[in-house]
Amino acid sequence: MNFAAIDWVIVAGYLILSMVVGIIGKRYIGNVSHYLVAGRELGVFVGIATLAATEIGTITYMYNGELGYKYGFAAFAAALISGLVMIIVGRTGFVISRFRALKLMTVPEYFEVKYSRGLRIVTGLLVALGGILNMGVFLKIEGEFLTIVSGINVRYLVAVMTVILLLELIYTVLGGMVSIVITDFVQYVLLSIATILVSVYAVYYAGWGHIVAKVTSTMGEAGFNPLVNPKFGLTFIIWQVLLWFSLHTCWQTTAMRMFSTKSPETSQKVMTWTGFIFLGRGMLPMLWGIAALTLFGTGAMNNGVPQPVVNGHTLAPIDAMPAMLAQILGPGIRGIVVAGMLAATMSVNSSYLLGWSSVISQDVILPIRRALGKGALSSRKQIFVNRAANLFVSLFLMFWGLYYTPPGAVYLYLNITGTIFLAGAFVSVVGGLYWRRSNTTGGYAAMLLGAAGAIIPYFFLHWGENVTGFAAFGLAAGGLVIGSLLGRAPVESAQPAAVG
Amino acid sequence: MRFWQLFWTIWLVVAGSSFAFITLMVMLKGGKDLRVMFRDLSRQQKEDNR
Repeated sequence: MNFAAIDWVIVAGYLILSMVVGIIGKRYIGNVSHYLVAGRELGVFVGIATLAATEIGTITYMYNGELGYKYGFAAFAAALISGLVMIIVGRTGFVISRFRALKLMTVPEYFEVKYSRGLRIVTGLLVALGGILNMGVFLKIEGEFLTIVSGINVRYLVAVMTVILLLELIYTVLGGMVSIVITDFVQYVLLSIATILVSVYAVYYAGWGHIVAKVTSTMGEAGFNPLVNPKFGLTFIIWQVLLWFSLHTCWQTTAMRMFSTKSPETSQKVMTWTGFIFLGRGMLPMLWGIAALTLFGTGAMNNGVPQPVVNGHTLAPIDAMPAMLAQILGPGIRGIVVAGMLAATMSVNSSYLLGWSSVISQDVILPIRRALGKGALSSRKQIFVNRAANLFVSLFLMFWGLYYTPPGAVYLYLNITGTIFLAGAFVSVVGGLYWRRSNTTGGYAAMLLGAAGAIIPYFFLHWGENVTGFAAFGLAAGGLVIGSLLGRAPVESAQPAAVG
Repeated sequence: MRFWQLFWTIWLVVAGSSFAFITLMVMLKGGKDLRVMFRDLSRQQKEDNR
């Protein structure tokens, strides 16, 4: 066991604080817009905290650490693109300010506003499928991190992760977005302190000169220049630009923060400032991974990098970073860092639980009810359906997430599962907002071809991630254009309103 | 290679310092945002109950 008594006290204190502030949120839930978008009352700073906390989890640290270990500084290209694209989206208001003006609660809701109820249901199903599969790997990888850093016996991994999931579930089910915003604020502060502390420790222990020398001797120019690194190259960069534009505009958990802000202008400010955080969100954990390579990269070569060896044991590259933290952090600091990582874990998981369950309830169950001719549900009943969907998603994650192991680099797996719906959703949303000719036929073609373009090349033809990403976005765009031109031209109407 | 080393070093400094600065701003000003959000949510609830 790596934990001292002080570390346990810090972690337990954090968990109690998180639960108490989370449960406070329940008293502010009066209707479904309070539950899903915090009554659209988020200001800039709490907006930054909840958006950053939602998209920075232990899973983020793990996959970015893995990228840094495997590809050196060249991996920074992915982080740079994610941050710069976010700043561009924030500064221009591309998609997000129009979304906010429509007073939506979920991304698929837009598909009924612009296209049809049927397309909303299809999009809702694809969003929920891709999102839940994406989140499905979180628990196992987060559990690995906590097990390695704290030294908890691996036999207790399932029990520990189940307890963490249950704690998140309690405050998410009770207080929805309001509880999540409050806990995200606390969790963001804690995870940021942990991030800064670990970065300082990593550079101090590995040494900047040694870090640069190790990447140079192991990878040569490919460790610095993403254009000559065989895993990246120009196709990767273009795919990442497309992917991050779609993620920052159409990813349900990110979009929910934009829907929750006070105004379109506030949403732009939140997105712009969080873009700067996204630079560090990627680069700092990648740096930890490179530091782990410097300290432990002494094993046999595997795919061009030495495997990490810690205390005589050979580890997987993704586990090198947490193993480094277990060695370099002292008592007290280790507790703060693990509490910070738990904060990161809980903020992401609770937001993702609410995000995907809201799609199931608002975009699948409720529209199907209306299509069957049943009357609209009251706000209180809609909240109940959302809570039930929350429970369903949690149960799925508990069984799927703890036993499924993703193939290859986790970052790329997450990108591909996201692309299943993002390619079609992004193309349809951009077409719907900025191209008058786009219509329902084009929307269906974009969603279905985008999903097929991600699933068939990657899972059945075993193409690389970059080409798969291109195929998905290309097919979706082609589907929207051709489908719209072949289908009936849409009737001109005034600015549409949200449908709920 | 020298160019890329310098390029990533500069971006790392930008990323680390902006991460720390924004965290500080959120810590200092986020509490007020939360209080305003609670006040406005309470107001919304009262209006809903009327």
